[in-house]
Amino acid sequence: MTPRARQWALAGLLWVAALLTPVLGSAREYLQLFVAEPYLQLHTGPGRGYPVFHVVPRAESVDVLFRRTDWFKVRTEHGVEGWASQADMQKTLLADGTPFHFDVGDRAGFTSHRYEMGIFAGAYGGASLVSAYGSFSFNPQLALEGALGRFFGRFSNGYSGDIGLTHVFAPESRWSPFLTLGLGEVHTEPKATLVQATNRTESTAYVGGGVRYYFTRRFFLRAEYKAHYVFTKRNQNEEADEWKAGFAFFF
Amino acid sequence: MESGIRVLLLTAALALLATLSGCASVRHWFHRSPPASVSGDSSQDQAPPRVVEPEVARRKITVPKIRSRNFELGLDYGVLSIEDFGAHPSYGVTAAYHITEDFFFQAELGRTRAGQTSFEQLSNVQLLTESERRFTYYDLSLGYNFLPGEAFIGRGVAMTSAFYLLGGIGGTDFGGDTKFTVNFGAGYRVVPADWLALHVTVQDHVFQSSLLGTTKLTNNLEARIGTTVYF
Repeated sequence: MTPRARQWALAGLLWVAALLTPVLGSAREYLQLFVAEPYLQLHTGPGRGYPVFHVVPRAESVDVLFRRTDWFKVRTEHGVEGWASQADMQKTLLADGTPFHFDVGDRAGFTSHRYEMGIFAGAYGGASLVSAYGSFSFNPQLALEGALGRFFGRFSNGYSGDIGLTHVFAPESRWSPFLTLGLGEVHTEPKATLVQATNRTESTAYVGGGVRYYFTRRFFLRAEYKAHYVFTKRNQNEEADEWKAGFAFFF
Repeated sequence: MESGIRVLLLTAALALLATLSGCASVRHWFHRSPPASVSGDSSQDQAPPRVVEPEVARRKITVPKIRSRNFELGLDYGVLSIEDFGAHPSYGVTAAYHITEDFFFQAELGRTRAGQTSFEQLSNVQLLTESERRFTYYDLSLGYNFLPGEAFIGRGVAMTSAFYLLGGIGGTDFGGDTKFTVNFGAGYRVVPADWLALHVTVQDHVFQSSLLGTTKLTNNLEARIGTTVYF
C-alpha cells in the first residue's frame, strides 16, 4: 500500500465516521413552542413548494429540532415531524406566554449581524481576480475581515490574502459606504517565458473603501477598491490596485 | 481696578455654585448624608408589616438554543472530459452554505488527470509532462433551487428532492498554467435524512486555452455523484 493510498483510505474512514456522528448524537433538549394562531401548518420540506401535510391545532405545542435557512423542523406532541415557515413560527409563544423572537434575515439583520461571507470578481494589478471574503462584526460599524484571492494575469498568476478592519458608515441605510485598512501577503508566479521567472511571496498593506447595498432577504451587493502597497525585496516598493464587485450575505 | 474685576468674577462664580446645587453633577457638594440614628426606636419610622407576604416564585425559563443546519460538506466522484485530452475519473470536495430556501453558495475543489491528445497518440510526442497533466479546478458558485419535489421508495419512504442550477467563477490549474474559469451546471439533490444528501451534478468548466497552438475557449464537462452531510 503506497503512502498516498493509505492517506486516501484514512480520509475515507474519517468520512464514514463523520457520516455516522449525527446518527449517534445524544438526545438533547429542544425548545418547546405553543401554537397561538388557529393552527400551525407543517410542510414536507424546507421550502414553500413542498406541500402542507399536517396541521397543529391551537394550544398544542411543538419541539423545535433545528433550523434550515428560514424553515424550522418541528416535532408535534404526537411525534409528527414537519417543517414550519419562519412567518408562522413568529406567531408562536414560549411556555411563559411571551412571543417567540428569533433572528430573521431582513433590513434589521443587514444593519446588525455577526457574520458575512461573499464572493467577488474583479481586477488585481491588471490581472483578473476571483476572491472570497468572510467577516466578523464586533458591532454594526466595526468588523474584522479576511479575504483570499486568486488572480490570473497575462504575465503572472498568483494568490493574495489579507486581513483587516472595516468601518461601516451608516450601517442602517440601504447604501452604506465603508473604509478598510489592513495587512496581507501576495504570492506571485511569473509565467515561465519571462526572464526573471522566480516565484515570490511579499507582504502588503492596504487601504481602501467601498459601498454595500442591501438587496433582499440576507443578500447584499458589495463593491470595493483597495490600494495595496507591496513591500518587495527589490529596490522599490510596488503599488497594486484592486477593484472588485460581488454579492455577499449575512448570518 | 484689577482686584475689583477679580472680586466680581469670584462673586459670580459663587453665585453660580449656589444655583447649581440642583444640578445632578454637583448635587452632592452641599448635601451631606444624614448622621446615622443612634436611638433604638427607629422601628417606629418603618412601614407597618404587610398582612400578606407575596411569595410568588418566578418560574425561570431557559430557552434552549435552536441549532442551525445550513452548512453542507461532502465528497464527490465522477468523470471529467478535458477538451482534446479525453475523459477521466475525477474526485473532489464540495462545501455549501444555504442562504435562503432558494439560494445557496457553493465552493468546489476537484481534480482529474488528462490523457493524451489524438496527436500525441499518433506521433508518439509528449506535449505535457506528467505533473502538467494534473487538472485541478476550484470554483465559487451560486446555486438556485427550483422544482422542489419528493422522491418515493415504495409506500413508506418519501425523500425531499430538488433540482438546482449552478453558476460561478474560479480557476483551473492545467498544462503548467492557471486559467480564469467560468462554470455553470445543474444538479439533482435527494435528502434521505435531515443530515444527509445525495447529489448528481453536471457542470461545465469553461476557460481559454492555448495548449494546442491556437487560443480557444475550451469546454470541460463533468458529471459526478456526491454525498454531503448537513451540519
